[in-house]
Amino acid sequence: MKFPSLPSTPKTPGAKRRGTRTIAAVGAAAVVSALALTGCGSGAGSSSGGSSKEITVWHYFSDPNQVKVMTDYADTFQKNNPGTKVNNVYVPYDQLDSKLIASAGAKSGPDVVVYNGADASNLALANTLAPLDDKWGTFADKSQFPESVVHKVNGKTYGVQGYVNLLGLWYNKDILTSLGVQPPKTLSELEDAMGKAVAAGKQGMTLSGLPQSQGEWQAFPWLSSAGFSYGSPDAGALEKGLGMAQDWVKKGYVSKEAVTWDQTVPFQKFAAGNVAFAENGNWQMGTAKSTAKFSYGVVPLPVGSGKVYLGGEAEGIGAFSKNPDLAWKYLQQTYFDKAGQLTAMKDAGSIPSRKDSAADPAVTGNDLLKPFADSIAKNGATYPDDAVPAKNVANVQLAVGQAWSAALGGQSSPSDAAQALNSKLSSLLQK
Amino acid sequence: METAVTSVQTRTAAGGRVASPARRPRRRGQGRLLYVLPAAVFLAVLSFYPLVQLVRMSVSNVTASTLNASWDFVGTANFTAGLVQGDLGKAFWNTAVFVIVVTVIGLVGGLAAAIVLRHSGRISGLLLGVMVFVWALPPVVNGSVWKFLLGDNGLINGIVHATGLAGAPIPFLYDEHFALMSVALVNSWAIIPFNALVFRAAVLGIPAETFEAAQIDGAGPWQEIRHVLLPAVRPTSLVLAVLTIVYAFRSFDFIYVMTYGGPGTSTNTLPFLGYLQAFVRFDYGLGSATAVLTVLMVLVLAVVYARSVRKEEAE
Repeated sequence: MKFPSLPSTPKTPGAKRRGTRTIAAVGAAAVVSALALTGCGSGAGSSSGGSSKEITVWHYFSDPNQVKVMTDYADTFQKNNPGTKVNNVYVPYDQLDSKLIASAGAKSGPDVVVYNGADASNLALANTLAPLDDKWGTFADKSQFPESVVHKVNGKTYGVQGYVNLLGLWYNKDILTSLGVQPPKTLSELEDAMGKAVAAGKQGMTLSGLPQSQGEWQAFPWLSSAGFSYGSPDAGALEKGLGMAQDWVKKGYVSKEAVTWDQTVPFQKFAAGNVAFAENGNWQMGTAKSTAKFSYGVVPLPVGSGKVYLGGEAEGIGAFSKNPDLAWKYLQQTYFDKAGQLTAMKDAGSIPSRKDSAADPAVTGNDLLKPFADSIAKNGATYPDDAVPAKNVANVQLAVGQAWSAALGGQSSPSDAAQALNSKLSSLLQK
Repeated sequence: METAVTSVQTRTAAGGRVASPARRPRRRGQGRLLYVLPAAVFLAVLSFYPLVQLVRMSVSNVTASTLNASWDFVGTANFTAGLVQGDLGKAFWNTAVFVIVVTVIGLVGGLAAAIVLRHSGRISGLLLGVMVFVWALPPVVNGSVWKFLLGDNGLINGIVHATGLAGAPIPFLYDEHFALMSVALVNSWAIIPFNALVFRAAVLGIPAETFEAAQIDGAGPWQEIRHVLLPAVRPTSLVLAVLTIVYAFRSFDFIYVMTYGGPGTSTNTLPFLGYLQAFVRFDYGLGSATAVLTVLMVLVLAVVYARSVRKEEAE
């Protein structure tokens, strides 16, 4: 029996098997690595493909009260405009920008974007947002909005905030009463109260130490209270601020676990009832109301002459929206509308950006919102800081967030963390 | 047999399709290539093209504002920037530790589970089902559950406290030394089911007569494992080792969910550093340079390991 021999028949079959196996193993490694390292995430729903009655809204809210605002807005708009449909699409906070940028590359994206106002320059430079100048310029209620909530990049308007968010010091009234202390007005009063709380078997304060922009947002008030500013960064002030935070951990006032918490988790811990204070925002009003089984209140963060960022989400129209006119109509009837802003205040404790909404009795008569309003007047600071170049906002936030996390987690001494951070900032802050 | 072959050749030649028998294998080969084409197209589009783009990006200045425009060539600037900024060395070290822990525990755990589950039965069937479930769980879900379990008030610390093993909670995820090991252990736990299933298939492929012969020769259970089972699964170990190393090298999800690289930068591995550079700082060029270095390291490791085992087998 003869079989025609193939030209490629190896001399030693065993060697070929081993060779094939080697090539297969290396090939598998290359392909798997390449797929893993170059792969893209799953896409979110994009603009509604030209249907004139449907819009898609991308947001990053997971808190039920903030999600309720989105749902209420969709219901209101659909009710006011029969036949229209609003699709709210959740995209995780730290994926929103990259998904928008990736979508812009494919010339698609949402109709409306609800994004972190601090990211306006980044998103605008990446051509993910449509300029709003034509629409905003002719908007009848434009004068109701202060300039500080209008986000402009290179002279063009790319987003407007429907509300302002900032941090305050939430306190557990029941615990403070049992300790015999008043809500603190100064840093030393806060440390004294935390010391008494820990001695009584309670926890001092919850905050976020996540090594990213949320950490930087939470760190800035304390760092600025120690004399730090982006306008004139100083390693000494940084060391003092980071040292204070590390000292709180060492004394048991703040849990080291904070380095794994975003801003939602520490408030849940506070709402559970065994913590005296929480550094958290006005947007937690809804959570406090629905979860906390104790009396609570808010005072401005006791940071002396330090600063508290005035943040919040900006709302804009996607650069590749198929329905920009309907998207603008949606914004006018929800985020930029007086009644719409009061809806957000009632649902999630947002502080309205419109002057007439902010003057509404529902806002001025709210005991929890008043301390935040006081803080705006006394310590409010632009977010991001004007001293940070637009192209380096994300770099600065990450660097400060990591240093804050390193100090709280004990990875670095305050001195080392401050020196390393100051060195990074010196190049990142150059315009 | 020869007659049959000759008659087929004659009929084919009479049909006028093939002029000579020598051309037949080539035609057959061309036909085979057509079957490979769909897979080749998918591979080119989904793997080769992104890989080329990754390399292009790593030698270009690509930021959020230039990503969708033309990219300026900057040579090795992104690679040197990664080194100068000082994050790369620490991430490399973390990655090395991470890969070693995941590979060793993943392989040893997988093999141990395969040996325990080599006999068919209800319990082993149930355990295999649970393992497949664990393996199929999305890493983000897996990581979130483990983050909860390893928290100060989580199940693990609850057990530690209840049994009096430690007075204070163990800082699994927020101590700079514990955090990396905790995430690596969870990563190992997630890969053990896959390794166990593959090892089990190899173990089941060993003829029962081999074990019977070993028993007749007086081999005990440990000697069976050492002298029969381990040599038999060595070829499988090679492929699994490479896959596990690659799995560990590319691990991102668990770090993202459980520590976000913290505290500070203590759990930043190369893939996570690349993510921070590309998708948080929006310096896609810098992130791509880190990713290219990671791919190269995986390839080098794969070649070195495969060659060493091949040499060992030849001896």
